[in-house]
Amino acid sequence: MAEQHKIIASVKDALGTGARSNSHEAAATAAVPVAQSAQRAELASTFARELEEVGGKFLGILTPAEVTNRIVSLAGEIGARTVALGQGVASDMDAIGEALERADFTIVRTLPVADTERAAMRARVADAELGIADADFAIASTGTLAVVSNANRPSSLTLLPPASLVIVQIDRVMANLAAVLAEMGPAGVAANRLTLITGPSRTADIEKRIVLGVHGPKSLHVIVVWPQND
Amino acid sequence: MAEIPKARDFFEASSAAVGDHELRRKLENASARHLDHFAQVKAEFPPYDDERDAAHRIKTDAIAHLDELLIELTSKLEERGCKVFFAEDAAQAREYIVALAKAKGARNVVKGKSMTTEEIDLNDALAKAGIDAVETDLGEYIVQLRGERPSHIITPAIHLSKEDIGQLFTEKFGIEYTAEPEKLTAEARSRLRAIFLAADFGITGVNFAIAETGTLIVVENEGNGRLSSTMPETFVAVMGIEKVIPRLEDLSHFLEILARTATGQKLTTYTSFITGPRREGELDGPAEMHVVILDNGRSSMLADPVLREALNCIRCGACLNVCPIYRRIGGHAYGSVYPGPIGSIVSPNLFGSAAGYLPFASTLCGACKDICPVKIDIPRILLHLRWKESTGKHPLKWPRAIERARRGARRFAKTARYPRTVRTLGKLAAMVLKPFAHNGYLRRMPGPFGNWTKYRNFPRPRPHKRPEPDRPSS
Repeated sequence: MAEQHKIIASVKDALGTGARSNSHEAAATAAVPVAQSAQRAELASTFARELEEVGGKFLGILTPAEVTNRIVSLAGEIGARTVALGQGVASDMDAIGEALERADFTIVRTLPVADTERAAMRARVADAELGIADADFAIASTGTLAVVSNANRPSSLTLLPPASLVIVQIDRVMANLAAVLAEMGPAGVAANRLTLITGPSRTADIEKRIVLGVHGPKSLHVIVVWPQND
Repeated sequence: MAEIPKARDFFEASSAAVGDHELRRKLENASARHLDHFAQVKAEFPPYDDERDAAHRIKTDAIAHLDELLIELTSKLEERGCKVFFAEDAAQAREYIVALAKAKGARNVVKGKSMTTEEIDLNDALAKAGIDAVETDLGEYIVQLRGERPSHIITPAIHLSKEDIGQLFTEKFGIEYTAEPEKLTAEARSRLRAIFLAADFGITGVNFAIAETGTLIVVENEGNGRLSSTMPETFVAVMGIEKVIPRLEDLSHFLEILARTATGQKLTTYTSFITGPRREGELDGPAEMHVVILDNGRSSMLADPVLREALNCIRCGACLNVCPIYRRIGGHAYGSVYPGPIGSIVSPNLFGSAAGYLPFASTLCGACKDICPVKIDIPRILLHLRWKESTGKHPLKWPRAIERARRGARRFAKTARYPRTVRTLGKLAAMVLKPFAHNGYLRRMPGPFGNWTKYRNFPRPRPHKRPEPDRPSS
């Protein structure tokens, strides 16, 4: 505590006591308006292009029924045996889980855990070959997914398995980062951990050559969902 | 604290580095690749300069209200369940973290990439307490295996070739030699994954701290920051006092430019927004979260109206990549964890007068200022520090060779006051030296001038011509 006051006092002292030129407001910038539905398809296609540019794989704009089938076939394509999934933001993860089980995949469902169960649950997620998560938003201009984690949707789902699949609703594809942050607002961002994901895990630490899959997933697949009644 | 070498050591280290052609090849290679990426993403993003202006404005304003912002940040962090510790200097920060690790009985400490923990020399302090901290950023992991320090603030192993790293892995792990970056990365992944799953104590740096929400932003590409801040039960974030920004809405400007200048990306792969420890029932995140807020000389920079601007720095490393000095000598020769142009400004203030010679290690060409995403006038600050250094109470002691050069320069300065004499001497030199020149250059010169031609050719002096008056070009 003593150090805190001392440092803040020395900061105050260094700044001087005179009037301060700028006010907080002077540095403020206008928020970017949130994209409207008319631009949905265009935003989704920009998102797809940017995602592929950073090494992600765009699986298409699909209806909810198509989504389930596509996920089952993807799990087969990448040779997965175990698939980890949490609860969705808008997608029906239960239906997806059941479809995967019918196709003989083992499912790890990430439910809220007690302290004693944590290590075991993490090991199960880490051993899954595919993790599935629902994103809260996508950002068209950078090919980014904004994923909020909570007790039903842990951050591990997009981090530990070697392949990651993220689903996002088309009306949640925003123009840029500023729009997403404005939509979530300070309270929304502070409520839980938020992770922005732009492509698969990567490094350029060896001779500036890009290698994918350092600590996180080596492959990132994304589906944009178009609601049937639209 | 890692000893900052004296001026003589810097002189020797940089002379040796200049002669190291292999090092120069690696540096040029990496810098060129980097600048290519940067030029590409910048061209594709027309608002880049507007974003720079916004970032400059917000940061300057934030620094001007730093005391208020730190109070707001602290209360928000505490509201979210974080424990906040203000450290006046490196020693206090080290002691706090080491004591915490001991109290928690930490056995597996993992670190995400963090220059601030390099600044306070945390790994050594933990090691002395019998605690091994593993660096998990691939580049940091590589230099830690070699027992070295990072040589670049974004690309720690920039001074190593893939063959060097292949050899290192063969020696340390007994695996078959390979120089393929993919295979080397896969090896590191599997070794570090096991460590992550067993980690009980995690440490990362902080890129931005949002005062209004108490949210810490950690920016990275590999996932080491995410894992270090989600797997362990205890998580410590270490940040300088200058990292705080007022509001959430300020953040996008910084994220848009940081990735472009630091790594030539539009956005880094992972940006974590961490607000407090994990919530009830959550699988990931720490049970306990500590935030160490470090002064270590920053408030004294704040007190100097010229130097204050350097606190705007967001540690993107772009000024290193364009600096003609950095590109010749690399990061290690600077002797500080913060090399390059911005390092020459912050090092004397963070590490004391032993680094006072660093502001002189610059040609003042201004490439750093041109690329800086927050528009710091680096050459101006370097000149200011040179002025302070040469008018201070304890003038620097320079190595003899530099003293000789300075005497020569002073003598030239005296002569240069008489333009006619200079012109006459010039004509004389042009006449005398003409027969010795090859293609307009002198390859060897006599006496003390030989020190120049030892490393480079000297353009042959030519008779002075009066400049022609400007004519409009047709």
